[in-house]
Amino acid sequence: MAKQTFKGRPVVAGDINGKALLSKQPFNPTSSYIENIWGGATDKAPCTDQDNKELYKKDLNGVILCTSQCIGSSMGGAAFMAVAGLGVAPKAMLYSYHIDAVSASGIVMANVWQEKPIITIDLLGDEFLKAVKTGDPIAVKKDGTVEVG
Amino acid sequence: MACAAVALLPGNVPAQAAKAGTASTGSGVNHVLTKGPGTPEHALYTERQSDMLGLGPDGKPDPGYKATGVGVTPAKTAHDPSKPPHQMKLTKEEQDILDGKKGKALAKVMRTVVDHGNLFGAPKLVDLGGAPHTSFFTGTPAMAPLIKAFTECANEGLKAYAPYTINPRPFDLYNVQTSPDEQNMIFEGYPLQTEIDHLHVRLGGRNLDTRSCMCYLPEVGNAPKKGTFTAWAESSAVNAGNSILGIRTNRNSCGMDLMCAILGKAPYFGLLTDEGRKAKWLIEVKTKGEPDWGVLGGAIGEKCVEDVPYIVGIDKYFDGKITPENVHKMKAMGAATASNGAVGLYHVEKLTPDALDHGRDLLAKGYQTYVIDDKEIERVRGTYPNLWPKNVKKPNRAYIGCPHNTYHEMVSWGTRIRDELKKRGLKKVAIPTHFFSATVVRNHMFYEHPVMTRDLHKAGVTFTNTCVVCFSGLKGYSKSEFGVTNSNKCRKYSNSIYVSDDNLIESIMTGKLVT
Repeated sequence: MAKQTFKGRPVVAGDINGKALLSKQPFNPTSSYIENIWGGATDKAPCTDQDNKELYKKDLNGVILCTSQCIGSSMGGAAFMAVAGLGVAPKAMLYSYHIDAVSASGIVMANVWQEKPIITIDLLGDEFLKAVKTGDPIAVKKDGTVEVG
Repeated sequence: MACAAVALLPGNVPAQAAKAGTASTGSGVNHVLTKGPGTPEHALYTERQSDMLGLGPDGKPDPGYKATGVGVTPAKTAHDPSKPPHQMKLTKEEQDILDGKKGKALAKVMRTVVDHGNLFGAPKLVDLGGAPHTSFFTGTPAMAPLIKAFTECANEGLKAYAPYTINPRPFDLYNVQTSPDEQNMIFEGYPLQTEIDHLHVRLGGRNLDTRSCMCYLPEVGNAPKKGTFTAWAESSAVNAGNSILGIRTNRNSCGMDLMCAILGKAPYFGLLTDEGRKAKWLIEVKTKGEPDWGVLGGAIGEKCVEDVPYIVGIDKYFDGKITPENVHKMKAMGAATASNGAVGLYHVEKLTPDALDHGRDLLAKGYQTYVIDDKEIERVRGTYPNLWPKNVKKPNRAYIGCPHNTYHEMVSWGTRIRDELKKRGLKKVAIPTHFFSATVVRNHMFYEHPVMTRDLHKAGVTFTNTCVVCFSGLKGYSKSEFGVTNSNKCRKYSNSIYVSDDNLIESIMTGKLVT
């Protein structure tokens, strides 16, 4: 596939390569990380959000998660902190829209309080979500550039 | 500081394989999960306790949902890479704090608040007044990282800038969860509750008898003056504070509220600004009589999501002003706007402080109009699903007080239940009926109406200071408890069925579902 490049805003800047995992619908961290925050899972992060057909039961550990933004309870920020603490957070979070307050809180606090940054880019635009598919190779640059393919 | 400054410095990405290994929840929680509704199933109920779900009226995710959750849609929806990252201006004192001159923990608090504000384009920090209110209240395993962070603050002697109020405790072992099975579920589900309660004492939280989502009631006493900057969390309190009191707060996430409280400052953006408080929607209420306040709020929330509505046509139901006797109508409507959508502020013509000052000048250029008449109320009500299993036809609990009851609501509902029991020759209500309120509000009722309170209690009415949403959505309860409620917020976050006041009384008297 032809490589496509998108420019977003670095929320937590960094360079990383990995495979895309796409959630076209907004990602719900609280519903998705129940096994980690309630169930005692520490070496994987199986998605527990039944409402998310694209991600349900897939391992979220180490993926580059591509979505529009996050939704759900304010516990979602703590959920990001929890998986960051366990070392099973996504390698990167890529948002097509403006980052939401819940995930912003968790991602900022994980960075500041746990020193476990989750590289995060937002404002990548609607075309980004149309272009990316699960399994696509992704390269994230610290200036907010995201290469798909 | 070793951490990567958000949007400023490249992050040093540590190996993901390096595990902290500290967040194990132990076998107890697993034990509960295997015998209850189960982890994934329960996730839905847990999640429905929350705000900003992004779910459509059918309970399914809304693919077009876009809301940042801070209470106002951001102006910036595209990135301009030619411009440098936004950086707010800090005073010398603020910069000193950031540089660690007043301690390591406070520097991290400052970094957190500044980084968060930068993401939303805040130009500066503002000093907070009044007192904080926090939604950091559930001692679940998920809260372990936040507890650790705030313990670091407490260990350095940091406290909130003023004694603060806190959401209700998520359970009540004295009045509600009284069986051994229920108590097991509580102790296994909330293993960190004592830690979080103790932490609040260390950070300057107020006594347990003031625990409530309705912090602004006179008995609880957290009602800052109009125009005061605060950084509250709890969607219904934010919504009421901004709208009824006229304070200025964004919808803060759990954790960010206390970070701002410890710092005594918040980023200046969104609902703190004049521009952010402009209404993008004109809501014309044209019902023939007094509307169903919960459905009205639900309709507004679904339409506006997180934009500010300016509501006209309802001031006539408030006798000219908001009073302790009628504030519950505003509460019911507002909480529904915040839970069925993500509304952090609404204006009501001729009633709320901003509207009294500025009238329709609050309408933003290009605002949209939404007319709500009786037909629309019924259309919206008709979209509310019945989440009970098909074989369940009768309620087994009645919930009154989400958000928590006011004193006048308690007296009004208490009088009605007492009189109906007498009229029908009944000694007890047909199903357990729970009144939810702050303990200090309940005490007010005890003092003023001791005989009625005694008679209600003997008839099966429970007075509790816990949170109805936490209770009705609790792990293990969702398949055994089928409540009826007068709260659209409670409906939204649990399997409870929302009914009119008349039908709720009928259910309490007969044990039947009346819709």
